[in-house]
Amino acid sequence: MIELRSVSKTVMSGGEPLTILHPLDLSVPSGQFLSVVGPSGSGKSTLLSLLAGLDTPSTGSVVINGVDITALDEDRLAQLRSRSIGFIFQFFHLIPSLSAFENILVPLEIAGTKNAGERAKVLLEKVGLTDRGHHYPSQLSGGERQRVAIARALANDPPILLADEPTGNLDSKNGRHVVELLREVNIRQGVTVVMVTHDAELADQSEVVLSMRDGRTDVITDGKISD
Amino acid sequence: MNFVLRMTFRELRASWRRLVFFFLSVAVGVGGIVALRSLIQNVGVALTAEARTLTAGDVYIRTRQPLTADARTAIAARLSELPSVERTETVDMTTMARLLGEDDVRTKVVELRGVQSGFPFYGRFNLETGRPYSFDLLRDHGVLVGPELLTQLGLSVGDQIAIGEIEFTIRDVILSEPGRRLGGFSFGPRVLASHDAVEETGLLMFASRANRQLLLKVPDAVRVESLVDQLREDLAEAFVRVGSYRGTENRIERNLSRAENYLSLVGFVVVILGGVGVWSVTRVFVQQRLKSVAILRCLGATTGRVMGVYVLQMMLLALGGSLFGIGVARLALWAVPDRLTDQAVTVAGLSAVSISLTGSAIAQGLAVGLLVSLLFALVPLLEIRRVKPLFLLRQELPVLRAGVDWVRVGAMVVVGVGLVLVASWQAASAEIGFYVVGGFTLVSLALYVIGRLLILVIQPLQTTDWFPLRHAVLNLSRPGNQTRVILMTVGLGSFFIIAVQSLQTNLLSNFTLELRDGAPDMFLIDVQQDQVEEVQSVLERWVSRVPEMIPVLRARVTAVDGREVQFDDIRSARQAGLGREYTITYRSRLAENERVIDGEFWDEQPSLIPEVSIEQDLQEERGLQVGDFIQFDVLGRSIEARVTSVRAVDWDDSRSGGFMFLFRPGVLDDAPHSYVAFLQGPSETEARARLQRDIVAAHGNVSIIDGFDVIQTFRRVLDYVVMAINVVGAVAIFSGGLILVGSIAMTKFQRLHEWAIFKTLGANRRLLTTMLVLEYGVLGTLAGLVGSLGALVLTWVLTQEVFEIAWLPSPGTNALGVVVTALVVGVVGVGSSIDVLRRKPMVTLRAE
Repeated sequence: MIELRSVSKTVMSGGEPLTILHPLDLSVPSGQFLSVVGPSGSGKSTLLSLLAGLDTPSTGSVVINGVDITALDEDRLAQLRSRSIGFIFQFFHLIPSLSAFENILVPLEIAGTKNAGERAKVLLEKVGLTDRGHHYPSQLSGGERQRVAIARALANDPPILLADEPTGNLDSKNGRHVVELLREVNIRQGVTVVMVTHDAELADQSEVVLSMRDGRTDVITDGKISD
Repeated sequence: MNFVLRMTFRELRASWRRLVFFFLSVAVGVGGIVALRSLIQNVGVALTAEARTLTAGDVYIRTRQPLTADARTAIAARLSELPSVERTETVDMTTMARLLGEDDVRTKVVELRGVQSGFPFYGRFNLETGRPYSFDLLRDHGVLVGPELLTQLGLSVGDQIAIGEIEFTIRDVILSEPGRRLGGFSFGPRVLASHDAVEETGLLMFASRANRQLLLKVPDAVRVESLVDQLREDLAEAFVRVGSYRGTENRIERNLSRAENYLSLVGFVVVILGGVGVWSVTRVFVQQRLKSVAILRCLGATTGRVMGVYVLQMMLLALGGSLFGIGVARLALWAVPDRLTDQAVTVAGLSAVSISLTGSAIAQGLAVGLLVSLLFALVPLLEIRRVKPLFLLRQELPVLRAGVDWVRVGAMVVVGVGLVLVASWQAASAEIGFYVVGGFTLVSLALYVIGRLLILVIQPLQTTDWFPLRHAVLNLSRPGNQTRVILMTVGLGSFFIIAVQSLQTNLLSNFTLELRDGAPDMFLIDVQQDQVEEVQSVLERWVSRVPEMIPVLRARVTAVDGREVQFDDIRSARQAGLGREYTITYRSRLAENERVIDGEFWDEQPSLIPEVSIEQDLQEERGLQVGDFIQFDVLGRSIEARVTSVRAVDWDDSRSGGFMFLFRPGVLDDAPHSYVAFLQGPSETEARARLQRDIVAAHGNVSIIDGFDVIQTFRRVLDYVVMAINVVGAVAIFSGGLILVGSIAMTKFQRLHEWAIFKTLGANRRLLTTMLVLEYGVLGTLAGLVGSLGALVLTWVLTQEVFEIAWLPSPGTNALGVVVTALVVGVVGVGSSIDVLRRKPMVTLRAE
């Protein structure tokens, strides 16, 4: 369960305060697949960064499974991310100096998981890259890189998965494949998924769609937004 | 920890190519320090042995009179606490050796030394026959003599000579001997006899000028200094001098300890250069790793663990680099030793010098390598703390948090203090450590300020129409530019190189001053007034420059301003220091090695009113002043002279000798006196011997002191030091150059991306090259200028404050330094970017 209680974000821009996210209340029940849509600069990514504790809200609090993460220090937040939150980015953000297999291994090792190697192999298999494990990110296609990133995000079985434009850099076929993967972990494992996208068609795959504009929530719809 | 270790190894696997330069920087620094340390320690052992050879023992007690019973009791009491101390006695006197035979009146001034069986504790005799020295050779009135005695008196081994009442048999010829001070001069050939035999000659009863010496061998080296102090206290009432082989009264020892300080300093400079390399590599490396750091943070790694990964990585590289450096040092020492060893062995019968890595040098090298790497890598590595995972959601390179980072400031202070400590440790002197690190800091600050100023000054050029210039200027002044970084690394590099070079010039010119051609190596004494012209005409036949004959008299100071200087009370006499006999002279002008520092020097006119000029030590230490009246006893005649000037005498320049008291002509001219002369004799041994024979044959009373061998030995020692300084300078300059090249080369990684974009926008190679030349050329010139200026200041301070030698500015070195720095920066900047110039832009753009 993720809860936002009057969360807002104001930054200084050219000496003037600029509100990029107006006070927002939102709760995402466990197991929900939430899409956040909206044009560039509407505050989608800011919302996601606040959910993950990557940024601190100017007002309000973010509560994840009963814990107010705005009160946690950097190391506690790191622990929280290690155990409870998986990330997927538009630009994949794999570590270029590590192979696909090792990239998946990293979060397992950070969390101190036993049999990390076995687990990483299972994950590679799950995203269909068993025979590409020893390849470096630069030797993989965009779709493959994103699948590695998903495997990495799922490594510690996090209850929450946050995805920032996960298909933004992929062609439509690869994009659909990625969203299918996300949908699958959402349904099969009950993982809460929050996905930022500006692709309405992909957002259709989710249960709830949050539409944003100029830092405010525009519409919240259940089910298909194109209806 | 598991994660940190694994991550470290994975990162190293991927990044070692980019960090090769880090590795090399550490290796060069550690290699330098280990090689130089080992050299210092090896040579130091040899020099210690040499210093001991000069005194032939650890501690000496010297006296002109036989030791009194009280003094002997005091010594015995002190030494009874140290049962392992060995002792032996020697006696030295200048006396005459005669040929046997009724008609033969030929005599020769010799330096007679009587020794006991324990002599020498250190060093060894080299005998002409090659047999080892043994005290048995001196038993039953045997003597060993210097080769000059044989040539001058036409004798050979087996012949007999008489000294005092005893006849001696010449058993062998001494080629070199321990216990003879280098740089000092002898009055005649050496004659070595047994102590007892010298007593038997009966000469000691009359000879007031016999020098007696009690030598001690102290097995526990650390006890030497304290023993000297204790003995000085015990014997305060006796007329003795207590000292050890460590005493630095002697010029050579001073020079050698200067050389040792210099070597330590250069060793540390090489390490600092390595540190600068480490800093610049780490900085660029961290920039390249910011994204990986952000990813790790996002995946839940704490700051501590991420820092751990990178610190461990740097430390492993530093360890590897240090070990590699030690290997290089080993190789380097293999390349040097033979010549050095031979040199050292030749000098004064040293036992062989082994040049090998010493355990302590290796340990120090490792410690310094790790410490300096950590210190220099620390500040750039701290940037990692400031990376926020949020950057992954922004579509740009991570920009670090702004604002003053107090942890970083604190780290800089720690680094500064750490460096001063390491420097002081390495140079074995807090003073030198402070100066070097101070110079380093000042130059860094100057470079920083100049970097800022430069950016301001060139602002107007941003509007120029010439594209390459406009962009070169933009590159130098845009946010996150490389200007200050390159100015810092290159400026520091050139600063050190130029400083080492000028320091070397200064040290070497100082040595050659003391060894310069024309330095006198032969001395005539006791030339009588009526012999002056004849002696000079003999000299004209043999030497190119006939020396001036200097009149000398012996005088004792009896009173100053009416206060009597008494000889009764030893302590006050010693404090006043005026009771002893001085050799005085008179002349109407200053000698080349003198200058007046107080009062006024008399004019050419002789005067019957006594005037005296004193040496500055008499003013500084004895409190004599211009205007004081000093009463002298000159050959029984009392003269009261007014002090009218104070002179500084350059004692290192011995061509004109040096006199503590110099009189105005007029008063002493008619007093009975003799003459001395300092000259440079012919260089061939044969000619020297004949010159001496010619003079002595005509004027039997004239004594000739031949300092040729001593000066030659002195020169060999200095050659050896000069060579060491040159080798060390070359090592420092080479490593400095390497690190300079590396620092510039590292900056290319930062322009990869930018150039790819320029190329896609249609910039060709020529355009990009022009931009590069302009950018690096300006930077190089500025860095060279600042480095040169810093070096000028550092050299001045070091020569004045630490080495205590005259400072010679070397504008040539400085100017060359600027030009070479600009060229190196330009060539390396462009050269290292050639592959970037050639690279297809898409390769770069797709690499991420």
